Amino acid sequence: METRQALRPLRILFHATLPVTHTPVFRSVASRRHQSTASRTKKMLKIPPHPDFLTPVSGQNHIIYNPPPSTASVYHTPFKFLPKSDPRRQANLSQLVRSSPDLHPSSRSATALPPLTRKTEARERKYNVTREQVEEMRELRAKDPMRWGVLNLAKKYDCSPVFIMMCCKASAEHKGREKERLEAIKARWGPIRTEARNEKKKRRVLLFQGAL
Amino acid sequence: MLAPEQIFNEEESHESSEESASFQQANLPRKTLPSPHPDRAPRSAKLAALHARLSLSKKIPLQILARTLVDPSADAHPQFNNANLAFVGASLLQYHTSEWIVTRYPRLPMGIVFSAMNGYAGGPALLRIARAWGVEAAAAPGEKVDPGYLQYSREKPTVLVHKWGYARAEVKELEKYKWRRGMSSRVIFDDPFGNTVSKEPKEPKDPKDPKEAAELEFRQTRDPDNSEIRDGDQNAHANFVRAVVGAVYLYCGSEAAKTFIKAFVLSRTLDISNLFSFRLPQRELTRLCDRENFDPPVARLLSETGRLSRTPVYVVGIYSGYDMLGEAAGSDLESAKIAASINALKSWYLYSPPNVSLPSDTFEEGAAPWEPAYIDMGEIIS
Repeated sequence: METRQALRPLRILFHATLPVTHTPVFRSVASRRHQSTASRTKKMLKIPPHPDFLTPVSGQNHIIYNPPPSTASVYHTPFKFLPKSDPRRQANLSQLVRSSPDLHPSSRSATALPPLTRKTEARERKYNVTREQVEEMRELRAKDPMRWGVLNLAKKYDCSPVFIMMCCKASAEHKGREKERLEAIKARWGPIRTEARNEKKKRRVLLFQGAL
Repeated sequence: MLAPEQIFNEEESHESSEESASFQQANLPRKTLPSPHPDRAPRSAKLAALHARLSLSKKIPLQILARTLVDPSADAHPQFNNANLAFVGASLLQYHTSEWIVTRYPRLPMGIVFSAMNGYAGGPALLRIARAWGVEAAAAPGEKVDPGYLQYSREKPTVLVHKWGYARAEVKELEKYKWRRGMSSRVIFDDPFGNTVSKEPKEPKDPKDPKEAAELEFRQTRDPDNSEIRDGDQNAHANFVRAVVGAVYLYCGSEAAKTFIKAFVLSRTLDISNLFSFRLPQRELTRLCDRENFDPPVARLLSETGRLSRTPVYVVGIYSGYDMLGEAAGSDLESAKIAASINALKSWYLYSPPNVSLPSDTFEEGAAPWEPAYIDMGEIIS
């Protein structure tokens, strides 16, 4: 153990020169897990320790904090959720500056943030549908629910499907028809797909309990 | 069956200890006592061991500890059973638990406060505490049983401590037709756990009812050892723990009772974050951000792997402006987003102010003046 510690600086030197001397000709050699002989394989697999684990240049001991990756605990309140009276808020005021884009619009651009999961995430809420239009869409939906489905209406009035569903209610007759159609589709499912769908339902319940 | 009103009434039928002593002296045939005589308590090794195990003060006599072990179903006489002590203990337990939960987690929704109350001071929790104290039930209560055993009758139903609740007029309809009960009405009318108080005893559960069967199955999967806990067992054990709290209060004062509750009840671990269940987490989070004037929440993809494989993993973070509110991993973007919203909401609800003081801290003499606790605006309505 002692000799290993002593040899470390030497090894650093050795590995620093390694890429120059040992660069493989073919790229596939780098991904190969064995060499022709056992001793060469052993030698190849001898990996130097990560620089963090070596004694630093200053020669002093140091602490390495490297927790395994995991989701943050829900008991750790995000800075934004701390109330004004909380002492942790006063102690960490630099966060406040960081979190308000109005103060430093130039220092942090939107590119520094991770990408959106989908484009519709950044959609502004626009309250563009008027009362008359709501009446109109109800009429359309009542007159011909097959032609004026939720998605078609949403496209026509440039609003979200949820808003259409909040405004209009399909007739019982149309609902019954749709239900029959769905039942017919379900009747064609075999045991495997039926079971898979049931499990999907159970997973969804667990998801909303935060247990998945 | 003993109605709850009768607990506090004196009963003439029971012979007092002096009377029974004179009977013994006269060597006459007499009725056997329903529970062990208090004079036998100092000679019981089990009671002495229990007294020492709980580190109870010398001020609490062994006779009183013996009395806490007698359930009203075994001995109906209010001077020999633990009903009165349990009543005092229950109110203390519920006061200290609710105070502790509300000051520690001021943003919890009322439904979660009720379940947390049940998790700390409810019947199942107290049953576990009683078992952890090493208290065993007597096979059948009677005069000759060692006073260190918990005495209750399995045939007769025991008395619930539920004096402090308002029995709603519509309680029958609530049970029969499953009427909706709002949270705020639960705060006002119902017991500290949000359950209705009814004058009539609950009917035994029907195993044929699919809902009851499902609940029983759930209990068995969660806790295979205790699948057959009957309500009577649980109630007797819980009443014993409450009665011990009441005895500590009566003989040692409120401070000692508070320390006792803290040591044995509030020190137990309850993961409150597991009690939540959401219906529309994304909408709830949007409402929250609107209410608090935060930027609307958006889902951002922190990392992903195996998008085209059978088992992809997406790590999604919910951002409001430049701040991440919560993150979670999921096997598709939608479920990861829902899980992340749930985590963000939980971290809102589970905010805990540092260095909280309890209202009961000011009961002591020479205590520091009360500093107001943080009070939240209220639940998010979505």
